[in-house]
Amino acid sequence: MATATQARTIGAKRSGKGSGAGLSRRIFKFRWIYLMLLPPLAYFFIFRYMPLYGIQLAFKDYVLKGIAASPWNDFAHFKYMFLEPGFVPAFRNTLIISFLRILIGFPFPIILAILINEVRMRRFKRVLQTVYTFPHFLSWVLLSGIMLNLLGSNGMVRKAVGLFSSGAFDNWNLLYDGGAFRWLLVFSDMWKEAGWGTIIYLASIAGIDQALYESADIDGASRLQKIAYLTLPGIASMIAIQFVLRVGAIMEGGFDQVFNLYSAPVFAQGDIIDTYIYRLSFVRASGVNLGFPTAVGLFKNIINFVLLLAANAFARALGQKSVL
Amino acid sequence: MADTAGTGTMKNGGGLIRTGRRNRIKRFTVGDGVILALLTIFGLSILWPFYNAILVSFVPNTVYLRYQGVMLIPPKITLDSYIFTFKSSLIWTGYKNSILVTFFGTVYNMFLTVLCSYAMIKPFPGRKLAKFFIVFTIYFTGGLIPYYLLIKSLNIMDTIAVMILPTGLNIMFMLIISDYFLSLPPSLEESAKIDGAGDFTVLLRIILPLSLPLLATFTLYYAVDRWNEWYNAMLFVKSVHNWPLQNVLRTIINDVQFMATQNIPGAQRPDIQGDAIKMSSIIVSMVPMMCLYPFLQRYFLSGLTLGAVKE
Repeated sequence: MATATQARTIGAKRSGKGSGAGLSRRIFKFRWIYLMLLPPLAYFFIFRYMPLYGIQLAFKDYVLKGIAASPWNDFAHFKYMFLEPGFVPAFRNTLIISFLRILIGFPFPIILAILINEVRMRRFKRVLQTVYTFPHFLSWVLLSGIMLNLLGSNGMVRKAVGLFSSGAFDNWNLLYDGGAFRWLLVFSDMWKEAGWGTIIYLASIAGIDQALYESADIDGASRLQKIAYLTLPGIASMIAIQFVLRVGAIMEGGFDQVFNLYSAPVFAQGDIIDTYIYRLSFVRASGVNLGFPTAVGLFKNIINFVLLLAANAFARALGQKSVL
Repeated sequence: MADTAGTGTMKNGGGLIRTGRRNRIKRFTVGDGVILALLTIFGLSILWPFYNAILVSFVPNTVYLRYQGVMLIPPKITLDSYIFTFKSSLIWTGYKNSILVTFFGTVYNMFLTVLCSYAMIKPFPGRKLAKFFIVFTIYFTGGLIPYYLLIKSLNIMDTIAVMILPTGLNIMFMLIISDYFLSLPPSLEESAKIDGAGDFTVLLRIILPLSLPLLATFTLYYAVDRWNEWYNAMLFVKSVHNWPLQNVLRTIINDVQFMATQNIPGAQRPDIQGDAIKMSSIIVSMVPMMCLYPFLQRYFLSGLTLGAVKE
């Protein structure tokens, strides 16, 4: 993309460089393009930039008269943040859950893609991919219902566990078990997204020169050898890029999933920053100072910002064009 | 295998054909068996929860309590929970609202995305600035409270618009489409320009017709996102008759009694159970996806690859 655009841009620059009259002529030449750009830019301005104005609440005590009328409070929210009993656990949970997701959820689609690639029956391969990708397109609202059916108090999993341990687990419910809840998040997310994750790796595998495999066959390489010495090195750069981008998103604990699956008994282990901010803002009954959740949000966004910049720089160094 | 080789559209079809021909003697090995078994098990683990949900939605209470969902074939089937579900006015308003949000939302998304994608391939003065303006929003956002206060000040609380307008365009999609536009032969556009066509004409008459399969894919992605919309509705839509299906579903899943308070005479028949009603509501809201997905699967699976292969 870069080269072609640059070529065109340079061409245009050469023709119209210099005087102010040239610039206005070029602007006039692109007048319809500016018109086209107006709706998208207006969207970004209204829904992505105007909220930034509200960030000042992080440094203010919110009063009902509005953002501008609220008095500054000398970083009181930030000083209070680490004393607020919910903040540190939420922060820690976000990191732990993200870490587990990377540890287990990240390699899985790679393994899955390699296994799918080994299947020689093309029709079966397509059926598998169709099935694997299906849950990606469903909402966590719906999937939480599906999981409740399996894991809830009348669910199949409990019944199955009950068969093996008479009595001991009668009141056990995976959804309310703090110790198991994080694993539930990790594995259910893996279950939902793994198929979708394989697509990019399968495309990457398809890009490997097939002649390499043929000569490996002639040399009598085993399947495992071909995977280890051809397939994996062939997709290594894609894996690296995906990994870097994944790590850059470590502050995103997965609001949709956690919010639809968690409940009071698992707040201690399952509450992430986003759900914590939500409850601070909308659930606590007593007159909430909206400044505090804004401050927590800003704190998260700043960390996120740095991580994303770093991830993007790394990915670019690995040869990814700057998409993100 | 060999007879289907010529018609293959699978990504690594070329490789498959060649290995197929060369190794026709190659037998089905133990390794193949293990791989197929593992993949099949994972596939079943994805299908089973859905199958189980369908089962639970169809069996009467007595059967459900006896087997607690551990069954392969239901011994007895009833439609009671579906009758109950369809009697709820909320399911119907939910469907109506979700269809509205999906239709207008997707049109709005594609309108913004196509305009932006096309404009961004032009070397207009200020292009770099515009791109920075757009991409910056990936990196830094206001957070929940500033967003909430903005929506409040825009006076679109509790409307259908609040589920459509704030979700404008996906920057990743926009950049992929932009890349694709750029890969089209510029000569087509140039000759149209010589014939006096303006930028809008070129976009509508030349660029869009050439990009239909790609645009179909992203239209589909947007439509799925809009269909799954619940977040803005949860934050901003208080009247239940404005809720999209997902939020109705959320309430049913969390509290089946809620249904009873909405125009439905309590649990008249003792043999309907809460879980069956939850599952039948889930199935009812999944129907569009289940029907469309197998047929549009090719489009569903192609978008990401387009972005990835081009590097």
